[in-house]
Amino acid sequence: MKNVRRLLILAACGCTLIAPASAAAFTVYAASSLKRAFQQITPSPSYSFGGSDVLAFQIESGAAADVFASAAPIYADKLVQKHLCGTPVVFATNTLTLVVPTANPKQLRSATDLAKGGLRLAIGGPNVPLGIYTRSLLGRLHLAAALRGNTVSTYTKASDVTATIALGSADAGFVYTTDWLANRSKLSRIDVAAAAQPPIRYVLCTVTRSGVDVAAASSFARQITSGRGRKILRDNGFGLPPKP
Amino acid sequence: MSPRTALFLGGLVLALVTALVFLLLPIVALLTAVAPQDLGHQLRSPVVASALIVSLKTNLIANALMLAIGTPAAYLITLRRFPGRSLLITLIELPLVLPPAVAGIALLMTFGAFGLLGPTLAAHGVLLPFSQVAVVLAITFVATPFYLRAAITAFAAVSRDQLDAARDLGASEGIVFARVALPLAADGLRAGWAVAFARGIGEFGATLLFAGSVERITETLPLAVYAQLGVDIDSAVAIGVLLVLISGAVLLIAKLPPLWSPAKSTPSVGGW
Repeated sequence: MKNVRRLLILAACGCTLIAPASAAAFTVYAASSLKRAFQQITPSPSYSFGGSDVLAFQIESGAAADVFASAAPIYADKLVQKHLCGTPVVFATNTLTLVVPTANPKQLRSATDLAKGGLRLAIGGPNVPLGIYTRSLLGRLHLAAALRGNTVSTYTKASDVTATIALGSADAGFVYTTDWLANRSKLSRIDVAAAAQPPIRYVLCTVTRSGVDVAAASSFARQITSGRGRKILRDNGFGLPPKP
Repeated sequence: MSPRTALFLGGLVLALVTALVFLLLPIVALLTAVAPQDLGHQLRSPVVASALIVSLKTNLIANALMLAIGTPAAYLITLRRFPGRSLLITLIELPLVLPPAVAGIALLMTFGAFGLLGPTLAAHGVLLPFSQVAVVLAITFVATPFYLRAAITAFAAVSRDQLDAARDLGASEGIVFARVALPLAADGLRAGWAVAFARGIGEFGATLLFAGSVERITETLPLAVYAQLGVDIDSAVAIGVLLVLISGAVLLIAKLPPLWSPAKSTPSVGGW
């Protein structure tokens, strides 16, 4: 069964079949949401962007990654437990945003409008980080019932949620603030009480394997956490942890 | 047999074996990935049951629409030559060569909330997104070109002489269609339907973005595979096996010699 899983994951992300070819290249495995920011900070590493869960699985399967940048600490922690990763460092944070199509056909003004019912909502699935964070946020806003009073469509990828809302199939939905920023021309944002935000933290760690480029990995980590790195992350909508 | 001929035949055999292994190995891998008892267990989950019902219901309606409209439309095109006929056939084949993702976007640009017809539909109180009607539309759109193309070929292969003979015997155009052309084209029509069905039941992109992935309403089997992939790969594989079995069964049914249609060579002319 293990082999089947491995094959499936590899098939799902054909890019990995090509990436290990240049074994010597310094390789960063990073969550998709970091793509723009990371490439702006430094274009030199060989990047492999994808879902954090898939990336973690690939590293477990022996992928030749040097650095792992995860959208949630749990995936890095899983690797730490298996001695596959050094101590994770929090380098960015994110928040959730309620978004509507710019035309806002249902005239939504605040998150509490979701309680009215009769809306089409697009959110993350119950088993992916975006969906888990969204349910936690709705719970803190005392709006958990909104998932029952409306027609709710669930997606495994944040990009599917943004596309569904931007194309007008859904009236509203929750995405990461960074996703909204990247699609500002098609999506309007409705503020959500900051106190209700669940903690969304991005961590990076150096992969533990023979042949890992430790010098390049720590230099990469320094670039991400430098003043310039933090500015680029902030410009892309990320929040920042306190300076160490 | 000369050594040259043997070499050539050996080459042909090698090509066939290579093609068979390459095409069938992934299907064998999928079918053997989950043990049969696990398969039964996975398929009993409520997610699979509701996705199966949604898939069967929407595909049934979509296929009925496709056959009811596609069959006479294809017949008309082959009935007589008219100016622009080749152009018309090319236009029908156009959606066929659209990459699936592009087909999905095109459908959204037409029927989506911000699409060409979206505001008109909304003004009449028709809200397609996140509804089963949207799933049916998506399936019909991607599947119909496959059927139309096969139906045109099937009707075009029917001998003009046999149709004219029926007319000479006093059959009306409707009778010629129903009693002569349809039975003679039946094999081709069934084969076309099987391919169209397989394309429709696997529809993914347009359904996800246009019809959404709403449990029990628009979550079809392919959407369930995708949703389960992040949760439980075994469950995703089990649904994949189910899809292969359904498509395989349909293909088999389409290939079986028909028990209901009259003999090919001498269509019954009695009863007119």
